[in-house]
Formats: sequence, structure tokens, C-alpha cells
Amino acid sequence: MAAETLVFSAPPGALLSFWRSFRENRGAVIGLAVVCLVVFVAIFADFLAPYNPLEQFRNVTKLPPVWVEGGNWKFPLGTDPLGRDMLSRILFGSRISLFIGLSVMMVTAVLGIFLGLIAAFKGGLVDVAIIRVMDLILAIPSLVLAILIIAVIGPNLTNTIVAITIVYLPRFVRLVRASALSELSKDYVTAARVAGVGQWRLMFSTVLPNCMAPLIVQAALGISDAILEAAGLGFLGLGAQPPTPEWGSMLADARDLITSNPWVMALPGIAILITVLAINLMGDGLRDALDPRLRRS
Amino acid sequence: MIKYLLKRAALTLPTFIALMFVTFTMIRLVPGDPIEVRRGERGISPERLAELRHDMGLDQPVWKQFLDYVWALLHGDFGTSIVSKTPITTEFFTLFPATLELGLCAMLFAIVLGVPAGVIAAAKRGSVYDQSMMGVALVGYSMPIFWWGLILILFMSNTLHLTPVSGRVDLIKYYYHPVTGFLLIDSIISGQKGAFLDVVRHLILPTIVLGTVPLGVVARMTRSSMLEVLEEDYVRTARAKGLSNFRVIGYHALRNALIPVVTVIGLQIGTLLAGTVLTETIFSWPGVGHWLVQSIGRRDYPALQGGIMLIASLVIVVNFLIDMLYGLINPRIRHGR
Repeated sequence: MAAETLVFSAPPGALLSFWRSFRENRGAVIGLAVVCLVVFVAIFADFLAPYNPLEQFRNVTKLPPVWVEGGNWKFPLGTDPLGRDMLSRILFGSRISLFIGLSVMMVTAVLGIFLGLIAAFKGGLVDVAIIRVMDLILAIPSLVLAILIIAVIGPNLTNTIVAITIVYLPRFVRLVRASALSELSKDYVTAARVAGVGQWRLMFSTVLPNCMAPLIVQAALGISDAILEAAGLGFLGLGAQPPTPEWGSMLADARDLITSNPWVMALPGIAILITVLAINLMGDGLRDALDPRLRRS
Repeated sequence: MIKYLLKRAALTLPTFIALMFVTFTMIRLVPGDPIEVRRGERGISPERLAELRHDMGLDQPVWKQFLDYVWALLHGDFGTSIVSKTPITTEFFTLFPATLELGLCAMLFAIVLGVPAGVIAAAKRGSVYDQSMMGVALVGYSMPIFWWGLILILFMSNTLHLTPVSGRVDLIKYYYHPVTGFLLIDSIISGQKGAFLDVVRHLILPTIVLGTVPLGVVARMTRSSMLEVLEEDYVRTARAKGLSNFRVIGYHALRNALIPVVTVIGLQIGTLLAGTVLTETIFSWPGVGHWLVQSIGRRDYPALQGGIMLIASLVIVVNFLIDMLYGLINPRIRHGR
């Protein structure tokens, strides 16, 4: 009985209290729902897509979507000039975009946390060296640097991820370093030091958990930036190569059809916009819920 | 102030050296022999190869090559394009005014629309206007600009025939003699009837496309900064004095709210330069971004190398100038630390 009352009087768990403040922001909840939908589509594209995204139906090329005159329910979003089903290509495209976004986010997070913490803890020459390199990367406009890297290592999906990771690494490193530095001067860190906690343990289990909030927000927003950047590279022909159904390169292929068949051009862009918008909405909500100092209103 | 200036200038020096090192290394990492890449020749005789290697200094030790490269850069020699055989600096600075003109217009577009939108949203916090305005700003911020450009072309040019699709001016109707390189000015100087309007018509779509993301950023930033300032005591004092709402927001609050906005605008320069690559490609705008993309297509690596060196130098210099400006405006920064 006593245990039961204890349970009832306990403050809400971290997750629950996070959800309660996240829920207040209607846009963020909508964003989260759309993100979940996109993730679902990406995972189950094999079952959801009516056709193979590379299969060419040569007798039904350039079919418009069903809501336009001449559309056909067999191809709800129409077909491209090679007769490939647009719906299937867009569904499979979500897989590539999310894959790029998540891989970039994970690699930058791991590398960024590591480098940022090292810079903050070691200080001195190590700190200066890391920060100088990051400043150099920041000095070159993101897409220009990505283009330079792609020019050296060649255009394909993996290299797109490598290039975008390098481009976005500095933001993360600087953020981790700044938050770690502000934590380092606090009493609990001194206490842990006095208690004889080792350097690595101090870094990863004492300081890092207390810097997580801004990092989670940055990571979420980083996914949307990476998706946009990858699509931009794809559009310039420097990202995933045809026939891969990548939204950016699909758009580039459809550039010449802007008058004759605008839907082939419009649809992949709408997919990019919706995905990026949903992630940004969610990121705004995350920031409001996790970082009360940055709360918008 | 002089001490701060020197200290800040000394900090950019290592960045410059590292930048030279990176661009120098890059050209050596490109797959394929630099001679083949540069001359497009295969299977040339060993004598000719040795001659070319000697011409390009490739038979020297690597450290010597690097020092030569740095020496050349310090003398303003950024290399020669393989395709056009003209110096990179000549090509770059012929095209740069086009990029600068577009970039300035886009920034102006973002500020002129973004600041008032953010201020009104903050003043009417929580209203339908606030919510819809911030919704629009978030859409702008999330916009894939290459798609946005094509959609605008589809509606404005192909359907409504309001704006031209590409280029800076209609070269069939008007001759173009570069004086300043800024067509808005040159078209007036040339005295041709209608030329200025034609230039403006060409600028509209690229300006909107390039300005959309900064517009979203500026509007969001203005709003949140304004909301913060409106809570301050001095704003309450101003209200208590009986000043009109317009005067409190537009004069007292706005001046302080704009400080972080100016910072954000400064930070947008990199975003703008990255955005010009896509915008110029869509609209065949004869600027630096389009030229860089074309250089990749032509495998013109010296152009790429020199171009990136120049762009990055510009960004470093502009960031340095912005820092100086802050130090000038805000004494806390220059005496900080």
C-alpha cells in the first residue's frame, strides 16, 4: 500500500514530462506525425509501392496524375518519360533521403561529440587545432565545399554522405565544445574531479548527459539540412546517380519537362518540402520542450 | 581597439594558411594524373610528359610546390583555367558582380519583408497573423530552392509570361557594355530605353528564389528577438510614459531587437553564396556559382581550385569585417574575455 502511494506521488518521468511540454506545440505534433509517416513509408516501401521504381512501362510514358485529365488509376501519380511509376519512385525516394539524413546525423553526432569533448577537456593546442580546422570548414559555403569534396572523391550516394558530414561537422563540434565548457566550471564537475573520476568517465558520463538538450535539437534540425543538401547535390548531378530514385536527381531529370509534363518535376519537390518541413516543425517543438531557455513564447 | 583588430586579424592567418593547404592538396587528390586531367591527353611520349611535368613544376619536391603555390597566391596568381586559358582572377571578377548584384537584391528582399513580418508577428503574438506568418516563414526556411525556382518559372514565366526564364538581360534587344558589372547601374548608364526595366524583370525570380531561405530566417529571428525585448523593463517604462504602441515597438524596442538580427544577417552570407550555386544554375545566371558547377563538368580543376580559394577568402574577409563592426558597435565584445 505504501509503495503504491509512493508511485502515485512520484514526479512524472523525464520522458513523460518531455511529452507533456512537446504536446503543447500543435505544429510539432503534426510534424512528428508526418515524420513517423515518412519513416513508415521508407521502411515498408517494398510493400507500399505498386511497382519496382526502376521498371519501365514503355507504352505509358509521361502519364499525368489521376486528378489531371488523362490520368490513369493504375499509375496514381503518373509516369515519367521512361514510363516509370512516379508513386513508386517517390515512395522509394523517401528511403534514400532518410538514409542520407540519418547517416549524416549519426556520424556527425558521434564525431562531433568526440571532437567537441576532446577540445573542451584538453584545451591548449588540441583545442586550438580542432577549432581552427572547424573554422576553416565553416569559411567555405556549405554547398561549395560539398561540391569540392564530391569533385575529388566522385559522385555517388556514399560520397554524398561523406561530403555532407564534413560540411555539417563544425556546427556540432562547436556546439558540444561550448556546452561542455559551460558545464566544466560547475560545482558538480569539480566534485566529480575531487572524487577521483577519470577523464573519460568525466567526459562521457558526467558532462555529456548535461549537454544533451541542445545537441538533440541540433541533430534533429541537422537531418533536415542534410536532406536538403543531398537533394541539392542530386539536382546538380553530383549526388546519387540515375536511375536511383533520389528526389533531387529526379527533379533534375524532369527540368526539361517543365512545360510538357510539369508534374514529374513538381512531385519530388513536394516530397522534399513536406519531409523537411515536418522535421523542422518537430525540431522547433523539441527545442521548446527540451531547452526552456530558447522557448519561443 | 587597434589591439583587438590586430588580435582578430592574427586569428584569421592560420585559417588562410590552412585554406591554401587544402586547395593545394585537393588538386593532387583528384583521381587521374594531373597532366591527363589538365591536357586531356593520354599515351603521350615520355619526353613530352617530362616536359609538361617540368612546365607545371611537378618534378619539384612537394614542399617546394606548395611554397611556389603560396608565393603565386600572394602575388595574386590564382592559376589559369584549362578551358578558357585566361587567369582565374580575371574570370572570377568578371562574373562576380553578377553574383554580388543577385546576392544583395536577395538580402534586401529578405530584410525588407522579413523584419516587418517578424515585428508585426511579435506585436500580435498568438494571433492568427502571427501563426500564419510563422508558418509561412518555416515553409520558406524549409524550401528546396531549386524546386521553388522551377515552380516559379512554371507559373510566372511559362503560364503568365510575366518574367523571363534565364539570363540577366535580353541581349537580343539590348547591347551590354560592362562598366561597373552591376547591370542595374550599367543599364541606366547605357541610356537605352527599357533596358533598366528589362534588367529588373530578369532579377525578380532569382531574387525571390535566393531570398526565400534568408527571409524565413530573418522573420523568425526578428520575431523571437522582439518578443524578448518586449519583456524588458525599459519597454514597460516607455509604455508607462504613455508613448503610442507604434512608437514603443517601432522605435524603442526595434533598435535593440535588431542586434541579433544583424548577426544572423551576417551569418547568411555563407548561405547566400551556397544558394547562388543552385539559383544561378536554374536561371543560367552568369555568376560565380554557375561557373563553379560548369567547371566541374569541364573537369577544369584549376578553375575550381582558384574559385574556391577566392570564395573562401571573401567569406573570411567579410566575417572579419563583421566582427570589426560588432567590436565598434558593442564595446563589451572588444574588451571581452
